[in-house]
Amino acid sequence: MRVEAINLDKYFKKVHAVNNLSFTIEPGRVTGFLGPNGSGKSTTMRLMLGLDSGSGHTLFDGKPLTHHSPVTRVVGAHLDAKFFHPKRTAYAHLRMLGSESGVTKARVNEVLELVGLESVAKKRPGGFSLGMGQRLGLASAILADPQVLMLDEPANGLDPQSIQWMRDFLRHYASLGRSVLVSSHLLSEMQLLADDLVVIAKGDLIAAETMKEFLARASAGAVVVRTTDSRKLAEALQAQGLTLVASGVDELRVPEVTSDRVGHIAFAAGVPILELRTESASLESVFLQLTENAQEYRVGGAQ
Amino acid sequence: MISALKYEWRRLWSVRATWIMSVSYLVLVGLLGALPIYLDKNGPTQSWNGLYSASSNLLCLILLSVIAAQTFGHEYRYGLIRLTLTEFPKRERVFIAKLVLLFVYYVLIATAGWSVLGVIGATAPEGKVSADAAGYSMSGMHIPQLWQSFVFGWGYLVIAFAITVLTRNLALGIVLPFVTATLGEQIITALSTLAKGRMDWLVHSLPFTNGDAWLSGDSDLQQPGLVYLAWVVGILLLSAIRFHKSDA
Repeated sequence: MRVEAINLDKYFKKVHAVNNLSFTIEPGRVTGFLGPNGSGKSTTMRLMLGLDSGSGHTLFDGKPLTHHSPVTRVVGAHLDAKFFHPKRTAYAHLRMLGSESGVTKARVNEVLELVGLESVAKKRPGGFSLGMGQRLGLASAILADPQVLMLDEPANGLDPQSIQWMRDFLRHYASLGRSVLVSSHLLSEMQLLADDLVVIAKGDLIAAETMKEFLARASAGAVVVRTTDSRKLAEALQAQGLTLVASGVDELRVPEVTSDRVGHIAFAAGVPILELRTESASLESVFLQLTENAQEYRVGGAQ
Repeated sequence: MISALKYEWRRLWSVRATWIMSVSYLVLVGLLGALPIYLDKNGPTQSWNGLYSASSNLLCLILLSVIAAQTFGHEYRYGLIRLTLTEFPKRERVFIAKLVLLFVYYVLIATAGWSVLGVIGATAPEGKVSADAAGYSMSGMHIPQLWQSFVFGWGYLVIAFAITVLTRNLALGIVLPFVTATLGEQIITALSTLAKGRMDWLVHSLPFTNGDAWLSGDSDLQQPGLVYLAWVVGILLLSAIRFHKSDA
């Protein structure tokens, strides 16, 4: 199901929290939602779900959410790991949330098993860890098998195995033709997970494009080569008009070139190569580059 | 609407507080009905109507107001309102479902309370409860009709429900109606006496003073039942508007 956020806008008194945002979440793809702290990610998600008042609208398959029934078959949301009554058992919590779409007891048990909470299903979640709360939140979101998943920081508090499990799960979910929107601060994780990206900062849209396009915004990748004779190789590379931007004792870094070409030049110069690799731009480096001046809350006291 | 009601029903009965408050209410109703009969063996004969009025005693209503305040109070306290409104984006449906379910609960618990009192009356020593007796009530000489007790109690719960929505605070939803009824309005009434009638208009407008006057048959106030009703409806409308317009 295609989700279109159109001209979303929200003020908190004088603070322009979300500034006329428009983007699309495509079916069959995982869309990462990135932004520094306080950039308006959670507010945007709440606007999309109609939880906050503001202007603009969001269409799910061309219609507002209020025109769908049952809604939980359309969208499942996980907005916070602590959104449950501490004394209501995990099982009862899901039974309650399954009321709208007539979710069966068997489905509740199935979902609890899927997220690994079957052993604590009848326990009160007040004592759950953050990670367990995240699992319960995810269980709530997928309970009615919705066409769209919206998850706000679902990986917070999860151990590495659980993060990997969640990544595999979300990719599988999207591969079934569903739309997944997931916000996260774990950029390395997002790079492995997302197909598309929506990046915002201070409520403004910075980018809404594929991961590939986003990474291409950074300067082209460099080739790093380690050799036993870096001086001779440097001369050979410079003779071919290439620039070396940085070098270690036995390592050279050559931007804007392919590893094939460096390999050929080294071979022609008779220089043995110990290591040859392409250094590509990371999501983190591009993200930091693009949001450098758009952080609401900075460490170190600078504004 | 059916699914929203089902959601509410499950929400209501899946927390222990509902069971604790319901049982406490029935025990308290039973005690308020039984103690005057059994402690004072030479006391006056109680009427059936007087016995049944124990169920609308303010102490009992405070217990039920916890349930009323929890209807929205738990949702705001634990962030569940966002899950609820994601599931039911039409807010008026959520508001009405909660109000309807609260009413259903009130009917059930009031019926259970009357049943407890019925058993107490039926098993009381001979001559202690009689259909012919003038009887007595705990809030005055006048014994309200059963429907009046029921309506007063429902109004009290609606006020607790609405204050919780307005303040988004569970504790205030429970405490404000109680403190207003037992302390706030008494202080205003006392000040009015000191002010030699210059504050009568205010006293005549107070919700629980009018509600109590309606129950006890006090004729000094003009249309006390209507004033109480106006308060209940007014505060409910305000809460509905706030719920509809505010961020979840």
